[in-house]
Amino acid sequence: MTALPLTLAAPSARPLGSRLVNVARLHAANPFTIFWTPLYVVGLIFAANWVIWWIVRTAAPNNPETVQGVSNGFQYSGASLWIFVYMMVIAIMAMNASFSLALGFGSTRRDFILGTGLTFVGLAALYSLIYILLAGIETWTGGWGLGGAMFNSIFFGLESPWWLRLFHVFALFLFFFAIGSAFGSMYVRWKARGLSLFFVILSAVLLGIVALITVTASWPAVGEFFVAVGFTGAYALSLVISVIAGVSAYGILRKATPRS
Amino acid sequence: MSTIVEVRGLTKRFGSLAAVDDVSFRLEEGGIYGLLGRNGAGKTTLMSLLTGQEFATSGTITVWGESPVENAGVLERVCFIKESQKYPDDFKAKHVLKIAPRFFPNWDQDFADRLIEEFRVPVDRKMKKLSRGQFSAVGVIVGLASRAPLTFFDEPYLGLDAIARQLFYDRLLADYSEHPRTIVLSTHLIDEVSDLLEHVIVIDDGALLVDSPADELRGSATTVVGGRDAVERFVGSREVLHRDAIGGLVSLTVAGLSPAEQQAARAAGLELGPVSLQQLVVRLTTGRAVDFQEQPTDTDKEPRA
Repeated sequence: MTALPLTLAAPSARPLGSRLVNVARLHAANPFTIFWTPLYVVGLIFAANWVIWWIVRTAAPNNPETVQGVSNGFQYSGASLWIFVYMMVIAIMAMNASFSLALGFGSTRRDFILGTGLTFVGLAALYSLIYILLAGIETWTGGWGLGGAMFNSIFFGLESPWWLRLFHVFALFLFFFAIGSAFGSMYVRWKARGLSLFFVILSAVLLGIVALITVTASWPAVGEFFVAVGFTGAYALSLVISVIAGVSAYGILRKATPRS
Repeated sequence: MSTIVEVRGLTKRFGSLAAVDDVSFRLEEGGIYGLLGRNGAGKTTLMSLLTGQEFATSGTITVWGESPVENAGVLERVCFIKESQKYPDDFKAKHVLKIAPRFFPNWDQDFADRLIEEFRVPVDRKMKKLSRGQFSAVGVIVGLASRAPLTFFDEPYLGLDAIARQLFYDRLLADYSEHPRTIVLSTHLIDEVSDLLEHVIVIDDGALLVDSPADELRGSATTVVGGRDAVERFVGSREVLHRDAIGGLVSLTVAGLSPAEQQAARAAGLELGPVSLQQLVVRLTTGRAVDFQEQPTDTDKEPRA
């Protein structure tokens, strides 16, 4: 051999957008877990609630005052909050299950985490639309015929216009997806041990904060702060935590390796 | 020839264990490479490093002139079929085969469909419910149909029966000749694939033992067969790599003979034969000349290396 060995130039990659969409498609390849299961869960919770409303309505005296009172009580229902927690579980599962396969298919960690973020933002948008739609149907049917309230919960502001409520719901979905992503990435990188350690530290920090507020008698100030930021402000503030969680997930996953 | 992969002084440590220990080699464009070694020798770790799935402790890797780590341009032209690949729990075989084409720009769907039929993969079954062989077949199909310019197969045949393995070798060779690319096959079924391999890399305990064209490696040793006395006389004090004896007939494997020596052996009525790659690799990675089970007990055995 006389000539020096040539080194081929590295090929340029496909555009970032199409790579991220590929990751999103990987998450959605089997829509059962990330789409249909949450809907089933909501459906089941709804069915159980409907039966409870029916029992309460049947047991309570049938005069307009009581009916209104019971109906107001239903608005404190936390039934639909479960679905948000479930989203956190979905985020953790999706990250853990797909990371190894995405890398096996030649995705970079960066593309994987960005594509996953895109997927979660999309899902949050989709779910909040469905949520507000169901809230509309709930109002329109007079609380599913029983004065029940599952989607018109005081947690999202009963007086707020629908688009503001949409924002509240969207922010909350986003929050749980982002927290789930952070937990998921910790699990992928450090497995259960790392996650346990994190929760120990987190609990200590939270307890410390509570202790600090109590010792300095600052609880009224904390209350005033939340009154000052208001309902929508508090949801907007949750976006800050969501961004921090998302960025942490990115940082953690950049150094993770698939383990079998 | 163009270099696709260049590895220099590559080391990967897990704690105090050096899974890959100061390894340097090159892969040229086009060719089927055999990455051989015992279980735990570091084959999978090495391939994980080359595909950016693991981070090197020290040393450099370039693939198409760039580091493969987090390099989308490099990685979308690389396919790594891992024996231990994890899939999402709810994934059926069809989900894997539906999503794979999106990640590999050269994917050939017709070829994939044909392979699915030939390997009889039950596409509607969950990956975790597949038999080991069917699970491996999904990987083999993705690896072949991806037509990635650089394809790694890490023990792709686990659980495949003899027919399916033969099918894999046949399809690999046929598709490779139509669509030349660089393929790295890690395996310990060496004899089965030895005809496919153009170049052999052997690692043991994380260190590189052999990096040589397959023919050269095969030519590095010869089997001498004949009557015990004639063979022993010819071999003399040469190092014996392997020994087999049946009755008065002895077969000894010795390091490369010159043409003159080969002639002398034939003149002495001895038969010369090629050595299987497997025997050579076994010899190289165990440092022992004989397979104890096959060795009949006899008293005039030569001292072993």
